[in-house]
Amino acid sequence: MNINQSIDRNRSSFRRKMTQDVEMKEQQAPAAPSNSTSSTTSVLQHLKEIAALIETGAYAREVRRILRAVRLTIALRKKLKASVISSFLGFALAPGSETHQRLSSYLPKDDQNDMEVDTASSATQATVKHSPELEIYCYLLVLIFLIDQKKYSEAKACSSASIARLKNLNRRTVDVLASRLYFFYSLSYELTGELSEIRGNLLALHRVATLRHDELGQETLLNLLLRNYLHYNLYDQAEKLRSKAPRFEAHSNQQFCRYLFYLGKIRTIQLEYTDAKESLLQAARKAPVAALGFRVQCNKWAVIVRLLLGEIPERTVFMQKGMEKALRPYFELTNAVRIGDLELFKTVAEKFSTTFSSDRTNNLIVRLRHNVIRTGLRNISISYSRISLADVAKKLRLDSPNPVADAESIVSKAIRDGAIDATLDHANGWMVSKETGDIYSTNEPQQAFNSRIAFCLNMHNEAVRALRFPPNSHKEKESAEKRRERQQQEQELAKHIAEEDDDDF
Amino acid sequence: MTSVALYLQRRIGFLERRKQHRRESDEDMDPKLTEITQLFQRFKAALVRNDFDTSSRLLSQLKILLIEFKSLPPLFAETPNAIQEFTLARDIYEHAVVLSVKTEDQDAFERDFFQLKPYYTDVGDRLPQSPQEYPILGLNLLRLLVQIRIAEFHTELELLSAIALENPCIKHAVELEQSFMEGAYNRVLTARQTVPHETYVYFIDLLARTVRDEIAGCSEKAYDSLRVEDACQMLLLSSDQQLSEYIKEEHPEWEVKNGLVVFHKAKESAPCKEIPSLQLINQTLSYARELERIV
Repeated sequence: MNINQSIDRNRSSFRRKMTQDVEMKEQQAPAAPSNSTSSTTSVLQHLKEIAALIETGAYAREVRRILRAVRLTIALRKKLKASVISSFLGFALAPGSETHQRLSSYLPKDDQNDMEVDTASSATQATVKHSPELEIYCYLLVLIFLIDQKKYSEAKACSSASIARLKNLNRRTVDVLASRLYFFYSLSYELTGELSEIRGNLLALHRVATLRHDELGQETLLNLLLRNYLHYNLYDQAEKLRSKAPRFEAHSNQQFCRYLFYLGKIRTIQLEYTDAKESLLQAARKAPVAALGFRVQCNKWAVIVRLLLGEIPERTVFMQKGMEKALRPYFELTNAVRIGDLELFKTVAEKFSTTFSSDRTNNLIVRLRHNVIRTGLRNISISYSRISLADVAKKLRLDSPNPVADAESIVSKAIRDGAIDATLDHANGWMVSKETGDIYSTNEPQQAFNSRIAFCLNMHNEAVRALRFPPNSHKEKESAEKRRERQQQEQELAKHIAEEDDDDF
Repeated sequence: MTSVALYLQRRIGFLERRKQHRRESDEDMDPKLTEITQLFQRFKAALVRNDFDTSSRLLSQLKILLIEFKSLPPLFAETPNAIQEFTLARDIYEHAVVLSVKTEDQDAFERDFFQLKPYYTDVGDRLPQSPQEYPILGLNLLRLLVQIRIAEFHTELELLSAIALENPCIKHAVELEQSFMEGAYNRVLTARQTVPHETYVYFIDLLARTVRDEIAGCSEKAYDSLRVEDACQMLLLSSDQQLSEYIKEEHPEWEVKNGLVVFHKAKESAPCKEIPSLQLINQTLSYARELERIV
């Protein structure tokens, strides 16, 4: 018991796995037929162990066991086959039960060979208590399998059935499994393009979760709803929901990252760039290294928001491992904005218009035009002490019928917004730049320091809060042997986490 | 001339009614639907005549009658006449929007537009597209721009599909917003010539007023002083008289001296700047608190 608990504690404090819910990697069913029977039995063994874990967890009302069970399942995801699942179903559920029949109907029929092996093994098994958690777990397993096999319509039917089954259960231990189910429910509908249908259901489920104080479920459902609205570009409704929904301490790192990302997107569209930048950068930072697709998306939006704020992201942002190709259009865009050249900006925007429209950042790119002009103006104002407006118009390459008048009004607006420091002389038609004072004599450095200090302190506080200790550790003295064992397990754990990639949730 | 027009109008109305009557006698139409259709015809006629009182009265009656149809939002029940009811309701609201523009009532515009929106978004794929859809969407964008609700402007923009963005009415509004944000105000003012639809004229005039305020705000920061003629030209005022009235109303701190408009720029803060003591105290206290917590 103790060992299990300590592993759970350590694992949960270092937990960092996440779905690439933007780019789903394709899962292939295992190929080699020769060792299929041996691998089948070992996978089956694993599943049976997981079932036992769930049973004990349900009996002792320990949520952490269930969490661990789900994590182990995800590790097995690649190795699932229809035969394995049907034999597991036979083991876990009473064979004649309605659930068993329903779930088996979703699975494709397998060949005789595997069936014989399974009946032999199942005959020797001791009977297992059938708890509702196990039933829900079976639903989850079948659903994961169907989605990996790309049978989306059956996945839809299966997930709807599971949601109906969940309505009657009100146990904390089921919550973890339930939140995974909600996620796959939404995913199966999204992959078939019918997200709008389930919006009502998701809202009802969110209400129920709030009534039952199921915080993990609330978090998951809120994120799913936001994703639903943002999928159809309904930013207004997403914001209304988000502002009214109850907020609390995040239970799951992955959900928190997703929430930050959706929040960042909403704020960007509503023109609140500072908040958006903070959320997006935090989401990109907190996301685990394995979630490449998610981090790429966060970075794309973060780059655009920073450009819209007027700051140029540095080159290292685009050179992060694995993201170079995806971020290439944005890199060229940044270049155009940095130089302040409207022609270049236009060519880049047209060249990569398909990428931008698939990322849904097209409208934001259009807004960038005004930033390009500003940057160009700033460069001009710094380099010249006095320059005629006709020359300004020529340098900015404003393509309009009346460039001088346009340039004049653009410059005056820039002056009012505080982007450049200059005065205009209408009679002579020129712009006179003012001397830029010594910035160190103002409050600017102090403000910059303050923001950095606040950030570091925040990070420190969050890390302290995330630490968890085994509850009885201060009571018993650890013998040398136990300590060695624990250290060995910790090492294994660290290695396991470092190797693991492409994990779900 | 007017008697000929009246006669023609009456004749057209009669022919339409007869055509409708023939159509109705073929199908077994709902009596409520017939009643509301006739009322709608009268409303349209009043609108064409620019008779605002009658039109508003008829509009309220129409809205009350529309409540009785169960297939309309928010109930969305399935009835056999659903398509006709949707089309009819949509036409009614479109004309209501046009009426609110003519009466220059922005609140009414907003209300009617929000009632019209579900017909475009939720039910849109069941009905043939209305020719008024894009002009009305463009009008709404323009209204948001005039009221400087730029965040909502962009939110609405996100909801439009790529095809919608190609439409001249909407493209016009988008380009206006861009010029407005960049500060090329003269482009905004010349856009008055290129309105795609005559209902836009009202909002363009409002926009001109907003732009004038913006230009005044920019000019006072950018210029030390301007000649009176230049000021008139930039603010689009046609005479010195109007200029002095405008200054007296909006910007009493400007002075007119020797044919020059002098803007008194807020003097840069005195050499010894205040130290923002309250903020510094707060920050330092928070550092001390956090440092103490570190074990």
